[in-house]
Amino acid sequence: MTTTAAPRVPPILTVARYLLLDRVTYLALPWLWAAFAFGLDVVILQLVPDDHSAQRWVGGLLAAFAVVFVLGIQTVARALPFGLALGVSRRTYFLGASALAAGLAGCFGTVVTIGQLVERGTGGWGIRMAYFRAPGVLDGAWWQTWLTASAAFVLVFAYGMWYGLVHRRAGLIGTVVFGAAQGVLLTLLAAVVTWTHNWLRLGHLLATSPIAAILAGLAALLLAGGLVTVRRLQI
Amino acid sequence: MTPAIAVAGLGLRYPGRGGHQALSEVSFEIPSPSIVGLLGRNGAGKTTLLRILTGQGFASTGSVRVFGSPPLERDAVLRRMVLIREDQTYPDLKIEQALAAAALFHPNWDAALAATLLDAYELPVRRSIKKLSRGMRAALGIVLGLAAHAEVTLLDEPVAGLDAVVRDMFYQHLLADYTAHPRCIVLSTHLIDEVADLLERVLVIDHGRLVIDALTDDLRGNAVTVTGRTADVDRFVADRATLSRRALGARTTVVMAGRLDQRDRQLAEHLHLDVDYLTLQQLAMHAVDSAAGATLIPTGAS
Repeated sequence: MTTTAAPRVPPILTVARYLLLDRVTYLALPWLWAAFAFGLDVVILQLVPDDHSAQRWVGGLLAAFAVVFVLGIQTVARALPFGLALGVSRRTYFLGASALAAGLAGCFGTVVTIGQLVERGTGGWGIRMAYFRAPGVLDGAWWQTWLTASAAFVLVFAYGMWYGLVHRRAGLIGTVVFGAAQGVLLTLLAAVVTWTHNWLRLGHLLATSPIAAILAGLAALLLAGGLVTVRRLQI
Repeated sequence: MTPAIAVAGLGLRYPGRGGHQALSEVSFEIPSPSIVGLLGRNGAGKTTLLRILTGQGFASTGSVRVFGSPPLERDAVLRRMVLIREDQTYPDLKIEQALAAAALFHPNWDAALAATLLDAYELPVRRSIKKLSRGMRAALGIVLGLAAHAEVTLLDEPVAGLDAVVRDMFYQHLLADYTAHPRCIVLSTHLIDEVADLLERVLVIDHGRLVIDALTDDLRGNAVTVTGRTADVDRFVADRATLSRRALGARTTVVMAGRLDQRDRQLAEHLHLDVDYLTLQQLAMHAVDSAAGATLIPTGAS
C-alpha cells in the first residue's frame, strides 16, 4: 500500500494552497469579468459622443473588485466548512485565507499597474480610454498605483469574508442588521463631523494622506473584524 | 494509556429562553484502536456531539480531550482528526480537487486506497461535486474519511443515501482498512443492525443523553424475547426485569433483561417457549427508555 505523506508546510500556507485548488475561480474569474467589462467599455465609448477631453474615464475595472468581493464571501461560505472537516482550526483557516488575499492582491495590483503602463503608452488603447486609471485614486506613479490597487483588492476580499462570516453566523437577518449597522455608523460619523464643523479638515486629511495607507488601514480593520467573527463560528 | 477521545460532563443548551438542551451530561472515553458505533435516532444529538469533538461546535459545559488535549482551535490536535458529515458542505471543486485538498491536510493520506475506493464506488474524478447524486456524495465522503487515515476518524451517517450493495462494500472496506491501519473510528448511524458486527463498542444517545456505553460483546445477548402461552411466559420471566410486554390472544411476548443460563434454556424448552436474543438495534430501541437502559448495561461493562 502506498502512503503519500504530505510535505510539512505551515498550516496557513496549506490553507492558501487548498483554496488555490480552484484556480479558475481565484485567478481567472476576476480578470475574465474585467476583460468583459473592458470590451463593454470600448463599445460604449464608440457609441457615446466624444467630448474631446484628455481622458475618457470608464469604470469597468470595478468588475474585478466586485468579483474579488464575491471571492471573499465564497471563501468562508463554502470552502470553510470543508476545510474545518479536514482538520484545520478557524483561526488558521482565516489567516490562510487572509494570506491568500494579500498574495492575490499583490498579483492583481501588478496586473493593474502593467495595464496602466500599457494604457498610458498606447494613448488609452488608441481611444483615450482610462480603464486602468481612476481620477484621484489610480492616476499617480506606477508604485502608487500598485500599492493602491493591492490595498483595495485586500480591502474588498476582507469585506467579502466578513460579510460571509456574518451570514454564516447570523443568517440573512443578521447580515441585513450588519449592513444597516455600518450605515448607522457612517451616518453618526457624518453627524459628528458636521456638528464639529470638521468637513474641511477631513477633506484635507483625505486629500493629503496616501490613499493606499487609508485603504490598508481599513483592510486591517475589516480583517480584525473577520477574525473576531470567525472565532465563535459554528459549522 | 491516554484515551483517543475523553468526554466529561458535556452539555449543550442553545441560547435563548426555552433553549433546546441538545446534549446533557455526556461522559465517555474511547481508546485507540477501536471501532465505535454512535447510535441513536434522528435528532438524538449524534451530529452535535461529533461537531463538538472536532471543535466545529461549542459545548455549554464539560470538556473534550483528544489524545489528552482539547481540540478546539488546536491545529496540532485537529490535524489528527477527520469528520465527514452526511450534510457536508463542499466548495465548488471537482472530486479530484477535493481529494487533493484532503491530501494537503492529512499527513497519512493514502492515495492508493483513495484510488481503489474511487474505482469501487465508480466515482468520476473529473466531475464537479455539486453535480453528484446524494449517493455519490456519500461515497465521496467515505473515500475522504477512510483514505485520510486520520488517527481519529469520525464518520457521520456515512451510508445515508447508499444502496444496499454499496453499503455492504463500505462495511467491507472499513473493516479491511481498520485491520490494516488500526485507529479510532467512530461511526454514527441509525442503521444499527447493519454495522453491529463491525462495532467493538456502542454508544447509544437519546435526547442528548448517553443511555448506553458498553462493549458490543457485553451488550449482545443481554436481553431476550420470550414468546409463548401467557401463563408459561409469566412463569419463565417471574422475578426477572422485563422491558416490554405484548399480548396477542393466548400468546404473550415479553422482552426480558439479562442472560440465559443452562437452567433457563431447559425451562424454556420444557415450557415450549420461543427465545430469541435481541439484536443490537432492538437493544438500542429499548435503551432509549431510561429505566430499561440501566438494566441493559452489563455490570462492570465500560
